[in-house]
Amino acid sequence: MKAQRHELSPLSVIWLLVERDLRTLVKSPWILINRTVFFVIQLFVFAVLVNKLVASTIPGFNYFDFYSVGAVVSTITSIAFIIGADLFEEEEMGLLDYLLSLPFGHSLFVFGRALGGAVRGLIYTAPMMLLVAFIDGYWSPAGILGSYVVLFVLATGISGLSITLAMVIRSENRFDVVIAMAELATVRVSAAIYPLYYIPQALQPIAAYSPVTSASDLIRWAILGNASGVGNLVILVLFVAIFFGLGSAFLFKRLEGGRFE
Amino acid sequence: MIEFKDVWKRFKGTDAVRGITCTIEDQEIFGLLGPNGAGKSTLIMTMSTVYRATSGEILVDGHSVNTEPGKVKELIGISFQDPKYDRILTAREILQWHAKVTGVEKGVREKRIDDVLTKFGLTFEARKRTWMLSGGTKKKIENAKIFVQRPKVAVFDEPTAYLDVPSRLLVWDMIDELRDEGSTVLLATNMMDEADRMSDRVGIVSKGEMVQVGTPDALKGTLKGRDIIEMTLEKPIPELPAEMKKIEDIQDAHFEGDTLVLLLSNGRELLPHVINIATAKGAKVQSVNLKQPSLEDVFLHYTGMKLA
Repeated sequence: MKAQRHELSPLSVIWLLVERDLRTLVKSPWILINRTVFFVIQLFVFAVLVNKLVASTIPGFNYFDFYSVGAVVSTITSIAFIIGADLFEEEEMGLLDYLLSLPFGHSLFVFGRALGGAVRGLIYTAPMMLLVAFIDGYWSPAGILGSYVVLFVLATGISGLSITLAMVIRSENRFDVVIAMAELATVRVSAAIYPLYYIPQALQPIAAYSPVTSASDLIRWAILGNASGVGNLVILVLFVAIFFGLGSAFLFKRLEGGRFE
Repeated sequence: MIEFKDVWKRFKGTDAVRGITCTIEDQEIFGLLGPNGAGKSTLIMTMSTVYRATSGEILVDGHSVNTEPGKVKELIGISFQDPKYDRILTAREILQWHAKVTGVEKGVREKRIDDVLTKFGLTFEARKRTWMLSGGTKKKIENAKIFVQRPKVAVFDEPTAYLDVPSRLLVWDMIDELRDEGSTVLLATNMMDEADRMSDRVGIVSKGEMVQVGTPDALKGTLKGRDIIEMTLEKPIPELPAEMKKIEDIQDAHFEGDTLVLLLSNGRELLPHVINIATAKGAKVQSVNLKQPSLEDVFLHYTGMKLA
């Protein structure tokens, strides 16, 4: 007779799926190093330079502090978008067949993948966030913890958006183009790297409701003490609810219908 | 027990599996034979809940794939034809994660992994990232996942592809051992010697249909002419097959290159007569071979395929 197998709880399954993402992340330190170096250069070359230019035209405005937070938010947005491409890669390598044959439901798989994408994004940006808090001189544990929560929530929503786009587009080549455009739109049409007031007027209403704007403003509030309304929190939560839900539903439907037919 | 009941699977208007009905008994090694694209992998994927059947029912140990996919997945382990795992990870990491996710008890996990790696001679390679390893080693790791998991229903898709002879023999022994422990084994293969040696019964799938099921010996016995004479000539004589077919016990005659292949009964008795006819027609016989039909012949017969 076969030995009894150990029953896994849904939480254990989700953790194992996240663990898989983390194991692969640890094996690719160069990607992490590359992104960190890029971030540091942006911060200490670009932001310092622009801060000097801005200081003379907008007295009292510290662009370096403003940009440093936006840069972290932009980075996690860009990393969270990768999950859609991962799904295509897993399909192409046949990994999806393997993962779907394992003893957990497709819904848990979907949840675990999106969550794994968000955790991976958070791990990439966690040191960057610490660096920003340190150089901006706001070393409050509660503020940093709050920032991590905001980054994680944003990454979950962006993962959902990425999965939704991957499921709707269904072609890897088209997905690459669309995802580049989506990333550009969500980061550039937002108050991540420049204040809302200086964005072209026609785009201001869009940027105001961007989840990237909300996340950036919430973190600026948490660590810099800038003003931020409850509206930002509502926008962020709504964004996550809509796209995490949509992404999960689309992916689940595709998987239940017989994988990527 | 695995029961397939009129299973159909359609992809975009094409029926990949067409009304397969078949039962696999507990602790049986069931060989699934079929040419590429016959529907073997689709059947396996449907059984393991990766695909959803268009219609029909599959029961694994009494659990329906349609209504209790979770229960079914707890029972099954698949070794895929092409290794499917994160190639950035080492073999040990892959096996550890697979063992955890398939619910192998913590207390036995590492020992099983060590045992399997030792049997495969992979204790050193297990520390390398798998993308660096040879095709054969990658295949061993794919198989190792199932030998660590030891599922109730073990599915092996081409388990010995890319493997050298000693490794093939080892994998066969390990599959036998798995069955002896209580596993039911579904073995999809294109290697006839493997199917012949390993399978209690064989199912031949062609164009999505299960065209024959039986023990290897029983299937060999279903061929009209059980014996085969292969007569290599200096050059083929086109009218010779028709001439041979006039003999009552000869069921089929055709050329494969310069070799005249006869499917017949009583081959030993007819051999001198057949040579006489060939030489009388001006054939210069270079060699003659008389043999029993193999599973390969059965396969070619039922799938309607010819040797290239």
